[in-house]
Amino acid sequence: MYRLFGRYPSLRAWLLLLPAALWLFIFFIAPLFIVLAYSFLERGTYGGVEWVFTLENFQRTFDPLYFNTFLRSFYIAAVTTVITLLLGYPLAYYIATRPPERRGTLVLALMIPFWTNFLIRTYAWLTLLRTNTGLINVTLLNLGLIKEPLPLFGNDFAIILGLVYGWLPDMVLPLYAALDRLDVSLVEAASDLYAAPRNVFWRVIWPLSLPGVVAGSMLVFIPSLGAFVTPAILGGGKSLMIGNIISNQFLAAHDWPFGSALSFVMMAVMLAATLIYFRSTTESDRRQL
Amino acid sequence: MAENYAVELRNVTKKFGQVVAVDDVSLRIGRGEFYSLLGPSGCGKTTTLRMIAGFEMPTRGEVLIEGEVQGHLPPHQRPVNTVFQNYALFPHMTVEQNIAFGLEMRKVPKDEIRRRVGEMLEMVHLTGMGKRKPAQLSGGQQQRVALARALVNRPEVLLLDEPLGALDLKLRQAMQLELKALQEQVGITFIYVTHDQGEALTMSDYIAVMNRGRVLQLGTPEEIYENPTSRFVADFIGETNFIPVTVREGGQSPRVAIGDQVVEAVWAQDGLPVGAQAVLSIRPEKIALHRQASDAPGKAVIPGKVTNLMYLGTDTRYTVAIAGGSEVVVRMQNVTSSEHFFRPGETVALAWSPHHGRVMEAD
Repeated sequence: MYRLFGRYPSLRAWLLLLPAALWLFIFFIAPLFIVLAYSFLERGTYGGVEWVFTLENFQRTFDPLYFNTFLRSFYIAAVTTVITLLLGYPLAYYIATRPPERRGTLVLALMIPFWTNFLIRTYAWLTLLRTNTGLINVTLLNLGLIKEPLPLFGNDFAIILGLVYGWLPDMVLPLYAALDRLDVSLVEAASDLYAAPRNVFWRVIWPLSLPGVVAGSMLVFIPSLGAFVTPAILGGGKSLMIGNIISNQFLAAHDWPFGSALSFVMMAVMLAATLIYFRSTTESDRRQL
Repeated sequence: MAENYAVELRNVTKKFGQVVAVDDVSLRIGRGEFYSLLGPSGCGKTTTLRMIAGFEMPTRGEVLIEGEVQGHLPPHQRPVNTVFQNYALFPHMTVEQNIAFGLEMRKVPKDEIRRRVGEMLEMVHLTGMGKRKPAQLSGGQQQRVALARALVNRPEVLLLDEPLGALDLKLRQAMQLELKALQEQVGITFIYVTHDQGEALTMSDYIAVMNRGRVLQLGTPEEIYENPTSRFVADFIGETNFIPVTVREGGQSPRVAIGDQVVEAVWAQDGLPVGAQAVLSIRPEKIALHRQASDAPGKAVIPGKVTNLMYLGTDTRYTVAIAGGSEVVVRMQNVTSSEHFFRPGETVALAWSPHHGRVMEAD
């Protein structure tokens, strides 16, 4: 064996890759092609497919009914990304500028809440936000501060709140990594060269942290776009995202081909976003070299 | 008359927690001087520089620049610029953008910025490199960009924090000469932090030798080298012999005993009582070897025996054992040919002029 590997070093690499490659093929690539194939077929009556080629499923995705949900999902994901960035940047900056021995503790403190199951945490928000029985509205009503319950639940606000809460660490960690790498003497050099604090930030700190900004934004935007647990629970069945429509097509409407087509259109959007992300990060890396 | 100084420090102390980094330092740095803060790492020289730049605020005392008390003015409001040890060039900007940064921040008109950046590139021999990123430059070129980025602002004072530390020896020596020439050309006050005594001697008009947060001695390179006033300074700057002696007479015309030989010296540290154990500091090149004591009239002379010699081209370095078992290093220029060499085992007379001998505390 050993001699065989010694003679064919690439053989060893292939053998080591084999389990992972098999796994990916059987459980990821093959299903992906099945879904792709389904998206060009007609629906079966009780789920499943009829083996008849059609483009109708893709045409239907541009039906305003679904296309508007697409646009709204895009909008919700974008707003979520901007808010996590606005919240996450100062937090990451704060952690990165603490003494080294305290940074680890702060990062840990950021992570600990997220060791709890995501579903449970989302239900926790439900008990806080619910319109008539939620903790916030009940408290405010009892205190007499409001007369009518606030619209905290079953709308975009609730979904965005849940998504921001859920994905904040995914924004903070890449930002923290980028800011932690930033050489303090660059900040000093800028202020030595007459830059007021806001110029130090916009001319030096911000451009050098861009790889973290882009990475964090992608890590928040992509799962937010495809989210379905958060809108299912906090949207209250009224406010839906594309992830809910897709799961409905498979589970409730038994229209697998249409669900497959929606999935593929969403994947195409995500792929485009990821490509933009890779291009901008490699460019900023090149700038830093 | 504070306005006569480019930078003045008045009793400046800086503490980090309980650690005293700079301890009651007072300096007066004249306009246009090349002034070095010299000392081993951790002596407080960099902290002193950072207090002038405004990166650190003094715990006590005052920093004045051009006669103005700086108080808690932040760095961007001080008329000084810094060349950082690691250069701290902005990696995402080109060489030109780096150099233009300070001028842009001060809202200098665009065409003037372009002109001054061009002039600076020429001055530091980087014409044609303006569009490159710092990472595409060699260490020496990055160093020049850092210098240009600071000098383009025509600051009252340029602060340099071990700017040559990262360069290799040959480049460092070339840059030393270049820096000194540049400083004379632009006439800006340079405050130069270094732990390299050779560098400080070569370039400076004045040197402040620091140790443990305090300034031990101020003076021209020659004064510091020729007339060190403490054992630390004598030891840190150049090579020196510390010959164990007993004080016979202190004050203005000191006399000390080496074994049973009594010699005169030019200076003794204050507070050394008669009978105290001390050292006589004397530079190796100030001592000459002779065959006999009578060959060196008017000199302080002690007997010794050559134990070792090292031929160094321009001079020869002898190690000579003297009474009491200590060894003295002697450097003699090779003015004539090798037949005048003293051989190991040979008995010799060590002679020096009394005004090169300085009596200091033993430790």
